[in-house]
Amino acid sequence: MRNKNIIIGCGRLGASIANYEASLGGDVIVIDSNGESFDRLDELFSGYTIVADATDVDELEEVGIANAKQVVITTGDDNVNLFLAHLCAKVYEVPYIYVRFDDPDKGLLIQGMNIKAIYPFQLSKDRFNLLRMGVDK
Amino acid sequence: MKIVIAGGNSEAEFIIKMFSGKDDELIVINPSKEMAETILKRCQVKVYVGSPWRKFALEESNAYDADAFISLCPSDTDNYASCLLAKKCFNAKKCVCLVNNPKNVDIYKKLGIDSVISSSYLLGQSVKSESSVENIMKTLSLENDKIVMIEALILSRYKIANKTLKEVGFPSFASICCIYRTPEVIIPKGDTVIKPKDKLLIVCAPNDQKKVMAFLKGENNDQ
Repeated sequence: MRNKNIIIGCGRLGASIANYEASLGGDVIVIDSNGESFDRLDELFSGYTIVADATDVDELEEVGIANAKQVVITTGDDNVNLFLAHLCAKVYEVPYIYVRFDDPDKGLLIQGMNIKAIYPFQLSKDRFNLLRMGVDK
Repeated sequence: MKIVIAGGNSEAEFIIKMFSGKDDELIVINPSKEMAETILKRCQVKVYVGSPWRKFALEESNAYDADAFISLCPSDTDNYASCLLAKKCFNAKKCVCLVNNPKNVDIYKKLGIDSVISSSYLLGQSVKSESSVENIMKTLSLENDKIVMIEALILSRYKIANKTLKEVGFPSFASICCIYRTPEVIIPKGDTVIKPKDKLLIVCAPNDQKKVMAFLKGENNDQ
């Protein structure tokens, strides 16, 4: 059954998404290659933490990627994120895929796929424009 | 041919030397400035310093419409991203991607990379093919296992030794491409005699591999 909510990369963004999703309830699994990253999670975090290398397909399978309903990909490496997003979309057909890219050009490589991207660069730029126009304070 | 070589250290150098001096147009991209200088010094080719997985790096190095794009970075995912970018946005005809993790070979192919090379995967394949048959027969799979190439050493006790190809009546489902008889290479015709110690290079379909080998190894019962 597709019911797993998997977050790959427990950096600042990954950890705060994990905390939020866990507070809503449901099965949340956070993966990071470095166990110390899990220190960023709340003390009351109710999900699972697994130390694994997400670029290793066997480890992803063990985590249960084939049963994922949602995957959020926020590792610090754009190329790893791109590969994981393609893998989730084409091989495991995960229904909801969110991915963070620092390089906005990566968007060209996920066109037409069931992948939603977040670009911190674009968001900061938009925010700056809003602030400068005085629309928001 | 236009060939783009992205990243890599000694591998890049080896491949650049293989193609330089011919009519091929080489574009070399390397993320490391030190490596770029080493390549320039040793191979006398212009090296563009940049990350091949970034769009502007491929734009500035003019990596459009490459006949072959070879990515040799140390990280598997860097090579994956570079090859895909070259293919989707720069119209590369064929991408070759180097990987460390042999498990990535099948996955990357599934995700759209033409050719994925892993040294441990190749090592495993060659151990498999060499150990599956006697050591006088070596096999090599081509085109995703659709073609098999057999290298066979002819022993004097074989029925086909010391006969012309016409007399041998070689099976129609296989073809002898050449005969290696130290030090020359012979392209066989009907009247070519197969001699003991010859090495035959034979092409056939994987399904016929066993039949071909059985035919080659048929022994002379007359004596």
